[in-house]
Amino acid sequence: MTETVITLGGKAGQGLITVSDLLLRYLSRSGHFVFAAQDYMSRVRGGHNFMQIRIASDPVFAPLPTSHILVAFDQRTVDEHKDELIIPALVLHDIDDVKASGNATFIGIPIKMFAREAGHPVYGNSVALGAIAAVIGLRLDGLITLLTESFGKKGGDAAQKNVQAATRGYNYVRDAFPFIGVTLPRPGEKPKMLINGSQSIGLGLIAGGLQFISAYPMSPSTGVFNYVTSHAAELGILSEQAEDEIASVNIALGASAAGARAATSTSGGGLDLMAEGISLAGVAEIPIVIANIQRPGPATGLPTRTAQEDLDLALNIGHGEFPRFVFAPGTAEEAYYTAAHAMNLADKYQVPVFVLGDQLLVDSYVTLDKLNLGKVKYKNHLADANKVKTPYKRYQLTPSGVSPRLPYGVPDTRVMFDSHLHEEDGHITENIEICRKMVEKRFRKLAGMIKEPLGPTLYGDKKPQITLVCWGSTYGAAREAVDALNAAGIGAALAHFNRVSPFPAKEAATFLKGKKAVHVVEGNYQGQFARLLARETGFKTGEPILRYDGRPFTARYILDGLKRIYGNGKFRRVSL
Amino acid sequence: MENSGGFHYEGEKAWCAGCGDFGILAALEKALLKSGKRPDEVLVVSGIGQAAKMPHYIKTNGFNGLHGRALPPAFGAKAANHKLTVIVASGDGDMYGEGGNHFIHNIRRNIEITAIAHNNQIYGLTKGQASPTSERGMKTKLQPEGVILTPFNPIAVAIALDAPFVARSFSQEVELTAELILEAMSVPGFAFIDVLQPCVSFNKLNTYEWYQKRSYKLGPDHDPADKAKALEKAFEWGERIPLGVIYKNPRPGYVANTIGLDSEPLINKTTALEDVKRLTEKFY
Ligand SMILES: Cc1ncc(C[n+]2csc(CCOP(=O)(O)OP(=O)(O)O)c2C)c(N)n1
Ligand code: SF4
Ligand SMILES: [Mg+2]
Repeated sequence: MTETVITLGGKAGQGLITVSDLLLRYLSRSGHFVFAAQDYMSRVRGGHNFMQIRIASDPVFAPLPTSHILVAFDQRTVDEHKDELIIPALVLHDIDDVKASGNATFIGIPIKMFAREAGHPVYGNSVALGAIAAVIGLRLDGLITLLTESFGKKGGDAAQKNVQAATRGYNYVRDAFPFIGVTLPRPGEKPKMLINGSQSIGLGLIAGGLQFISAYPMSPSTGVFNYVTSHAAELGILSEQAEDEIASVNIALGASAAGARAATSTSGGGLDLMAEGISLAGVAEIPIVIANIQRPGPATGLPTRTAQEDLDLALNIGHGEFPRFVFAPGTAEEAYYTAAHAMNLADKYQVPVFVLGDQLLVDSYVTLDKLNLGKVKYKNHLADANKVKTPYKRYQLTPSGVSPRLPYGVPDTRVMFDSHLHEEDGHITENIEICRKMVEKRFRKLAGMIKEPLGPTLYGDKKPQITLVCWGSTYGAAREAVDALNAAGIGAALAHFNRVSPFPAKEAATFLKGKKAVHVVEGNYQGQFARLLARETGFKTGEPILRYDGRPFTARYILDGLKRIYGNGKFRRVSL
Repeated sequence: MENSGGFHYEGEKAWCAGCGDFGILAALEKALLKSGKRPDEVLVVSGIGQAAKMPHYIKTNGFNGLHGRALPPAFGAKAANHKLTVIVASGDGDMYGEGGNHFIHNIRRNIEITAIAHNNQIYGLTKGQASPTSERGMKTKLQPEGVILTPFNPIAVAIALDAPFVARSFSQEVELTAELILEAMSVPGFAFIDVLQPCVSFNKLNTYEWYQKRSYKLGPDHDPADKAKALEKAFEWGERIPLGVIYKNPRPGYVANTIGLDSEPLINKTTALEDVKRLTEKFY
């Protein structure tokens, strides 16, 4: 695999997002595989934010600790990132703002001056974009087309000014640094789709028939809510910003009881507040999808950073006992299928369904050729009012545990959802017999649920010396580590778990049988998944490789973990 | 209690004999019968408490959710299918205490539902602790020296938030309560009725006699459209307690103001695969 890694850094509000968005759009349209991870601080202005863009010959799904090109919007970016540059490296910067140092080649561009020429400091973004384009060999005409399209919508002379600025930056680099240039990996033939995890989860919810979303803003989950809301009016979806997360879950449950496909999105703290509502969904058997986008806790933790700390929470949230689905997709693409599937499953089994993402998954952009929209088809599981037994019983005892569900408003039918232990018709009861039967009925659903797809994916060597196990977005880094190990002649394999509840214990046990040197890789301190695996399969894994500093896994971090466990010896040949 | 046919539930009710909740139930049945609605067109939503058992005791659709959380699912259900007539019936603890935030924000939403608070100025189900409307000085096991908190004034808060319909009744006044519920059901927004409801088991202060002595029906001289006057009435408590419609400010509610909820209920709107495909095209 070959690749070029560009890191763009600066203060919040400096235009980083604008530049990287346009750059990513250009690259994906040209058919390049890209992965772009955002690292930002919890502030609106200032601080230090950066985005790392990997332009690779093959798909990648994790950030790297290294880069080839640094685009520094300020001195701090150079100070913070100079040690991760692979020499010969290039540093692009405003000629006035950054001092050259170290071994990299510094390419100073009079960004502010060119922006002023174009009429406003804001055009500095396009100057920088033009300069980057020149360095990585993008075509100026393609860039002009993109800028014209992007800024044309704004009207006035915005497009023309941005084109002027970009052209200045482009030509300046060409003329002043004629021998400097980086060759990108060969792109594919066709334009690629560029999507982040927020968008793909949101799109998945929509494809899964979402009709109603109520949520409360909380980083890093707000992107999911934003994406759905941005298309709500045109699609006839209702989006409501609730007064708090207790409301958002209970509102969604009311909508769902009325027959709407409903979901909510949140992050750990908000999920905590939803606990009782989720328990209500459990006993009242109301379908709901909860997209929980993890960030480090406890409490406010690190609002804009990443973690995998809410596994135990999702598995256990809500008092009392009830079945649930918990999914943890590995990539933005998988997140789309998972979210769509989650909507169907909630409806089919009338249980809460969790989709666990994290900041890395939702804020990172990836490219893909296309989404297979036929893979998960919308399926309606509401009962046919003409076919249900009369009088209708909301909690009719059935062999599958799933009772025919009708919405409110069916003529001559009374639909009763209840949070108590209840009779088949939803009437409150304390009858000893029915109490037992209702608990058993709900848990009979598990027999069907366990057969549903999105079980573990296996990757790598069939007879590995080293086996990594992970869940959620750690997939990308773990897969890369496995590739690197295999390339160095150390047989390695990976098992990635998307569905973690009901836990695919059989598949897990089969995969793990006879394997030695099995290490769970996950973003928390306690090894939550490792403990789950042990509980469900009796299999004791080796020392886990954990990360709990709010930063995403990289393949190198995993390799360092293995070196710590086994010593450097055999890992010398692994290049990462 | 009269047999009100379509809505009447014959089974046992777990309320104490003499509880004010019976009067509110009777009034609700009466209002529903008069409204001409079919039981399947109506949804009664509650939280948890004695009052909140209401959906079990009336033959409409029901949602008996969590303590304090009656209003959110009522809003969700109404938004999902605005053809439903949605009525919330819950306790004062439920609506003003545990669920106080939802009380505020659903008035702001102005969702087209009727919210009835069974205000017995006590926590009934949990056996007699102070509620947000308990009188100062009332002694309970948990307030052995007497309540020192200022009572919550639901009428004043609702008027301050400009709820389009704010009324008060007394559970013994079944006719008045039924009339108010019926009127509330036709309000195109959040219609709120606080019903004074004696708890014969735990509230020994605010008894039937206590309410009878003080409550009086507002006459035609009260103009509910006059916000200042309405607020004045909202603070009338103690020697005299006004009953009836205290404030009215009808205006379009949430459903009416939400683009897309005009005709077809949300539950009948589906996203076609073609639409999803169109969305994916924006990512290229
Ligand atoms: C989350 C939660 N906290 C506490 C309770 C216990 N609880 C049930 S009803 C209630 C108060 C009931 O008072 P009110 O709402 O005024 O209804 P009433 O019984 O007086 O009609 C309480 C505290 C509960 N069910 N759930
Ligand atoms: S405890 Fe009070 S409120 Fe509850 S049923 Fe008895 S009298 Fe009514
Ligand atoms: Mg009460």
